[in-house]
Amino acid sequence: MKSVIGLEIHAQLSTKTKAFCSCKNEVNAEPNTNICPVCTGQPGALPVLNDQVVEYAIRGALALKCDIHEISSFDRKNYFYPDLPKGYQITQYFHPIATNGHIVLSNGKRVRIRRIHIEEDAGKMFHSSENITKSTSSLVDLNRCGIPLIEIVTEPDMEKPEEAREFIEKLRNILKTVEINTGNMEEGALRCDANVSVVDENGHSSSRVEVKNINSPRFVQRAIEYEISRISKVMKSGKTVPMETRGWDSVSKSTVSMRSKEAENDYRYFPEPDLPILSVSKERIERIKKSLPELPDEKAKRYERELNIKNENAQLLAKDKEISKYFENAIKIGISPKDASNWIVNEVMALFNADSSEFDSKKIPLTHLKKIVEYTNSSKISRLAAKEIMAEVYKSGKDPDTIVKEKNLLQVSDESSLVPIVKEVISENAKVVEQYRKGKTTVIGFFVGAVMKKTKGKADPKLVGKLAKEILDGEKSDQTD
Amino acid sequence: MLFKKSVEELINDISNGKLDENSVISYFKERSANLNSKLQAYISTCEIGKNDGPLRGIPFAIKDNMQLYGTKTTCGSKILENYGSTFTATAVKKLLDNGGTVIGKTNLDEFAMGASTEYSAFFPTRNPWDLERVPGGSSGGSAAAVAAGMVPFALGSDTGGSIRQPASFCGIVGYKPTYGLVSRYGLSAFASSMDQIGPLTKNVRDAALIGNMIFGEDPKDSTTCSKRIDAMSTLENSIEGMKFALPSEFTDSLNSNVKRVLEEAIEKFKKLGARVEEISLPILKYAVAVYYIIAPAEASSNLSRYDGIRYGLRIEKDSIDETYNQTRDEGFGREVKRRIMLGTFTLSATYYDAYFDKAQRMRAKITDEMSKTFQKYDAIIGPTTSTVAFKFGGLSSPLDYYLQDTYTIPANLAGSPAISLPMGFVEELPIGLQIVGKRFDDPKILQIARAYEKIRGEFPMPNVDDGGEM
Repeated sequence: MKSVIGLEIHAQLSTKTKAFCSCKNEVNAEPNTNICPVCTGQPGALPVLNDQVVEYAIRGALALKCDIHEISSFDRKNYFYPDLPKGYQITQYFHPIATNGHIVLSNGKRVRIRRIHIEEDAGKMFHSSENITKSTSSLVDLNRCGIPLIEIVTEPDMEKPEEAREFIEKLRNILKTVEINTGNMEEGALRCDANVSVVDENGHSSSRVEVKNINSPRFVQRAIEYEISRISKVMKSGKTVPMETRGWDSVSKSTVSMRSKEAENDYRYFPEPDLPILSVSKERIERIKKSLPELPDEKAKRYERELNIKNENAQLLAKDKEISKYFENAIKIGISPKDASNWIVNEVMALFNADSSEFDSKKIPLTHLKKIVEYTNSSKISRLAAKEIMAEVYKSGKDPDTIVKEKNLLQVSDESSLVPIVKEVISENAKVVEQYRKGKTTVIGFFVGAVMKKTKGKADPKLVGKLAKEILDGEKSDQTD
Repeated sequence: MLFKKSVEELINDISNGKLDENSVISYFKERSANLNSKLQAYISTCEIGKNDGPLRGIPFAIKDNMQLYGTKTTCGSKILENYGSTFTATAVKKLLDNGGTVIGKTNLDEFAMGASTEYSAFFPTRNPWDLERVPGGSSGGSAAAVAAGMVPFALGSDTGGSIRQPASFCGIVGYKPTYGLVSRYGLSAFASSMDQIGPLTKNVRDAALIGNMIFGEDPKDSTTCSKRIDAMSTLENSIEGMKFALPSEFTDSLNSNVKRVLEEAIEKFKKLGARVEEISLPILKYAVAVYYIIAPAEASSNLSRYDGIRYGLRIEKDSIDETYNQTRDEGFGREVKRRIMLGTFTLSATYYDAYFDKAQRMRAKITDEMSKTFQKYDAIIGPTTSTVAFKFGGLSSPLDYYLQDTYTIPANLAGSPAISLPMGFVEELPIGLQIVGKRFDDPKILQIARAYEKIRGEFPMPNVDDGGEM
């Protein structure tokens, strides 16, 4: 079985005002406060395109390596729904602003972007019951109505759910880098629909199923995994897979049928007569291209080339705008690129991943990070202690100096206090000493571990190893016995 | 006899101090009130404006599909019977800013779809020349009000002839400016690519005067253009040496009475030193078909917003779909539903190429052919309508009804300026002469119309004052 995956992503553009009127682009304001005759569809009101929308759409499309069309146009997509005041959505159906882009995944696969077009968001509905069919009434908030979106449509180039997840993550980071979208999937600033079909061993393909309402990269992967296994089961049972639209339910971790494709609307697309053709000059496209910040992939390459960071770490550091800024600032305040890279990737990011929260540089201030790195490099604390301090900073925000004092974490590195402990450990483990004597020198590590345990990690492991070897080889016996 | 005065005469009398601005407004309000029970030109009345400016003291009426804050804007439809405007249309605002005062909102065929006001959801307006006859439409209320002297001028909207045809039927001047010259902001859309606001007046000078006031780019309407047009400065110039095209497609099926009036008009043009040449523009035969695909298609989308959710009529039912269905079924009239269905059909995925797309391509061809004609001729002329005003119920088949627009539609398809002015009488009823020009040649068609108007002499007003029935 092989699966074929394509994605459709709606990204809200973080412009100051809405796409076709001068209302503020603020979804979370008091309901129905950012509205006007245009976005509530009053008779006689007309749309006027916000030029910042064009600017942002082009920025996004250029960052996604698309061709920008000097001439594009708007169309109407007609359907009835209470969150759609005009009874149609203004979109670009026949002539989108951009086509033919791509994102390259870490496995080298190039996922092609078929098209990017500008459109407007609909309002938000609130139903009286969780279950819409049981609702007796619904409320509509039109603050979101008319907020600019770009819809990004990929070719069906992905085969694995992880690829789709990586695509979304990369896309989100690119849009954040060029500052046109907040990347907040939970709040709906970035929304993903997945088209999935499965091809069996004989080359027979299932119908295409569309999965909607996926609101995190993790769920993109989960939803597609679920869908592939569901479709595969249906195919194995010999039944045909209906072409349909399904919704991802993040509570039950499953997809639920929303409507069959036969019941889909005929959207009756036609050119929007209220808006003239959208024309952007070559010069403008060039100007926007030049103003784009460094993109994650370019940044990773630079880290590898100029800072000598290994590929894997460079990718991780460059992919998120906040993390890369953090990394670059760490170097600026004097942490070596290698230390900065290792500490951020292995320790800092691990903490955020552990409780699956978004990276936030304020939680581990760079000055704190620098202190921890310096303590460790000068052997004042052990690696283990460093980890502990890091976790404490993350949790409480305390200064590493304070934590070191409070927890008494300074490394013991004077021989006179360590020798008795090493001897104690040697005398308690006669069998291991025997092994050492027979030539198995690697057991030194065992003694080091035991000493570290006794000292609660405060001993300098290098020194302990050296002492243990000296004592076992008899070099120290005279003075102490 | 204030009601016989033109806008220009009233402006002069007020500025000379011959007339008092308030008394002019109250005179027309009173006259309107007296005549309205007979003519039913207004859906509602008001008194909004009275700012300082050249139109200070001049009352006017607007078609009830234009938003005016402080009034109800019904579009002649039950679905908007109680809809209160939330803002004022740009064209109306410009007249208010010029000092004008709106005293009435005039009747129309529902959502401007019709040619008689018979499709108003409320009542039909009567033609001041013959109360048994329609005033034309869809701006029939505006035409009747101006013809009867209830207001010195009015605004109408023209999508396929809705200013010019009622002007022809009521014996007044109706002018549809070049598409894009007057903002559509605040005009409830019927077919957005063709809708255009324009004045209905007693004479050509007034049409140019009001035109000048409402022209101009509007940041709220992206289809307006920045071109500056002055219709007044060349108005009185001679038309000697001009060449006009008279398409045989506009004259072939004319009855002999109308033909005779048209021939007299041609004679007058010759006296003015202009040439009229009969030409053939076979493509015009397709104009009505093209229009009745594109206009209903746009209308089906434009009227989707009337869904009972946010404003207007709502017939609440158990489910949202039933609420939509029942609201729209009860809220829209027969003709509006017919056009919504037509438009929904031609835009459907299966038929888009066969109908809408083909019609769009045909529209481009018609525009192209007309442009070519304007390279050789200063204007295209002909009768505005093939007949005089018909009797109520006189055109029962939709197809006959749609053919009312045969001569007026090409100007809308091409975005051209066009004007209708009284040409003469057929069986004691007025009929209009239409002059169509190249895009932005508004000053030229007004100049031609003005030259004709001068040689024709004053056109009489209908007698609506003595007891009513003529």
